[in-house]
Amino acid sequence: MTAPAVRFETLVERHHDEIYRYLWRVLHTSGGPEPALEAQDLAQEVYLRAYRAFGRLRKDSNHRAWLYKIATNCAYTALKRGRRKGQQTVDPPDGVDRITVSEAQLPEQQVIAHERRERVRREIAALPPKQQTAVVMRHLQGLDYTQVAEALDCSEDSARANVYQGLRRLRQSLAGELG
Amino acid sequence: MDANELAQLEEAVASPPEEAVVGSRRRVADWFARAAPLLEWDVVSSPLGPLFLAASSRGLCNVDFGLSEASFLAELDPLARTEHSPAALASIASQLHDYFDGSRTGFDVPLDLSSVTPFQLSVLQAARTIPTGTVWTYGQLARAIGKPRASQAVGQALGHNPVPIVIPCHRVIAGDGSLGGYSGGGGLTSKRLLLNLEGALPDLAFGL
Repeated sequence: MTAPAVRFETLVERHHDEIYRYLWRVLHTSGGPEPALEAQDLAQEVYLRAYRAFGRLRKDSNHRAWLYKIATNCAYTALKRGRRKGQQTVDPPDGVDRITVSEAQLPEQQVIAHERRERVRREIAALPPKQQTAVVMRHLQGLDYTQVAEALDCSEDSARANVYQGLRRLRQSLAGELG
Repeated sequence: MDANELAQLEEAVASPPEEAVVGSRRRVADWFARAAPLLEWDVVSSPLGPLFLAASSRGLCNVDFGLSEASFLAELDPLARTEHSPAALASIASQLHDYFDGSRTGFDVPLDLSSVTPFQLSVLQAARTIPTGTVWTYGQLARAIGKPRASQAVGQALGHNPVPIVIPCHRVIAGDGSLGGYSGGGGLTSKRLLLNLEGALPDLAFGL
């Protein structure tokens, strides 16, 4: 007995929020000036493309991974645009930085924490797009390697390698910052 | 990747403000409401069990029974928006109720048969003319549409009826007097129930 095919409206209800957060994270990391608005435009683009391509999707496909694939392609285009303009990563006004230390921090410590976040963000933005999106998908969006592979349109081995290489570069360039 | 590394990664990459997420969700929802056709549906009780109904802006487009709600929704156009809307199906629901308690024989409802092929449409339109309480054979229906050798194709076309009961494909039987087939939920048991309800079964006993 086959499970009922997924409806497009279910893809919207079930996955919009995580797709939006994914796009925002990729844009925010790369220092776009208005990630919230740009992510909104991209999310709309993702669902428009998905709507047009939905008829070609196989019933047994992983719909979540398929949406991430479209989102990643949209993100790449935006990333390339950003790199051409030479954007520097900055703390955007609408970003929410989670402060993981107590509120009793001294101002000096807050500055140090801010600098550290900025540095990590710059290093992530400097990764090749495939490694950057692979790391975000695997460790921040919670996709498994099969889904990451489908989103990146590569083999599972290649997906693992991209995540591994991305993290390795982050660790190397941030020796003492990460871990 | 250890917990400390993950925490630093999460902290650096951060998350969008919730208003941004909600704003985007609303915008996508608004676009989808404009882009996709709306199908309104309801479920009513019947002697055949829960009876599912769906209508587009053009009319009744799906009727089914003997399946779950999820399975019924999966049968509808996957690109359409669906809304459970008893008010939109009230007229046909009321007519079906009257049909099942014997106080109504035909249905007066706009239909949306855009999902069927031209041949299937000709077969279904011919089936609509079969008077309640009577039955035709596949061969008779084939002759009625001017294709006397197409009994088998007629049978297959009836199997694609998106609105069983309303279009009475159950009133078509085999030439030898046996019931033939029925692709509605419950198969031949349902076909027999409907024909019995309509008082058509005695005709079968006379080998029509």
